[in-house]
Amino acid sequence: MTALDPDDLSGDERTAVEHLLYRLADDELVLAERYTEWQVTAPTLESDLALANIAQDELGHARLWYDLLQDLGYSESELIYERDPGEFRHATLAEVPFEEGDWADAVVRGYLYDVAENCRLEALENSAHPRIANRVSKVRGEEEYHREHARNWLERLAGDEDGRRRLQTALDRLFPHALTLFEPTDETVEDDIVGMGIRRRGLDDLREEWLATVEPFLESVGLRLPMDPDDPADRLPDAVGRDRSHTDDWFDLHDEMTHTYRELGRTETTRIMDKPTDE
Amino acid sequence: MIWEVFRQEKTGEYHTHCGNVHAPDREMAKMFAQIQHGRRKPTNSLWVVPQEEVGEVDTEEARFGGTTDKSYRWAMTYQGVDADFAEEVAESQQEQEAAERQRGDD
Repeated sequence: MTALDPDDLSGDERTAVEHLLYRLADDELVLAERYTEWQVTAPTLESDLALANIAQDELGHARLWYDLLQDLGYSESELIYERDPGEFRHATLAEVPFEEGDWADAVVRGYLYDVAENCRLEALENSAHPRIANRVSKVRGEEEYHREHARNWLERLAGDEDGRRRLQTALDRLFPHALTLFEPTDETVEDDIVGMGIRRRGLDDLREEWLATVEPFLESVGLRLPMDPDDPADRLPDAVGRDRSHTDDWFDLHDEMTHTYRELGRTETTRIMDKPTDE
Repeated sequence: MIWEVFRQEKTGEYHTHCGNVHAPDREMAKMFAQIQHGRRKPTNSLWVVPQEEVGEVDTEEARFGGTTDKSYRWAMTYQGVDADFAEEVAESQQEQEAAERQRGDD
């Protein structure tokens, strides 16, 4: 398959690249925004710092992907602060609020997301889009810690009955939202994403690989996936995020996220670091 | 449970105590220590040690040596000498040499 020239994309190529980048960038941004709600309220100072640190990593990854959208002519304001919340393409797993004070929710969510992220990054390593392929290893280097963090917590919380019960409740609630990670933004564009080699594997493949990792691990700590094994996608929620359908909670979160920008009457964002190079 | 954390900057250097973390076990201590003590300064390796495993002897129980002032042994006096000071030393030396010649001590 031939490599794409990022500076000379055809109309269809550009659409496919944009859809893929919005999936990646929006997931990271919105989940990081949710994670920061745990700042100063996690169970211990150490877990607080660890989650804040993971949120910071995800924001950094969001920037890597949004940067490539900026290459296509969008400004950061257009991509985040002035974009209509109804245009975002993150999975609903990233946007649904945490059950108040439920650390099990943060742990289960991080686990489901980080394993999925690893699967999709693997499928991007040989992307036909050279700048996407280049950025994958930077992101993967930090993701290993995220998965270790989630697994360590899962193993420990599942160690007693109360903890296991809370994990199962969180899993039952979050699993349908996790399935939205593997939904297409648009069937035709998704076919192009794979057909053009921008992502080397299809979403059904990625979901199967994800299930093959999360199911045995969760079972090993005494948890059960709330899923019909014959039809893994049958538990999808009404809003799936990818196609720009969202829960009401997302609009509240977006409002909060952009509040300061609007209050200060900003029209552009401040950049404190240089754009990363791809060489 | 408290774990004391020791950080090594480069291979071959000593691990130096840099703080501690609360964690229920060794794995979690290693994980938290990475974030708290390994991310903001150059780090090659971290040790985590259960605080209760650290043996201590202090001045209550022991009289340590090292109480005599032996700072004269340290060749630190001329650290931080700048060009101005070097000139001052050179001038002072010239003055002394001139004074000696005047006295005719040679």
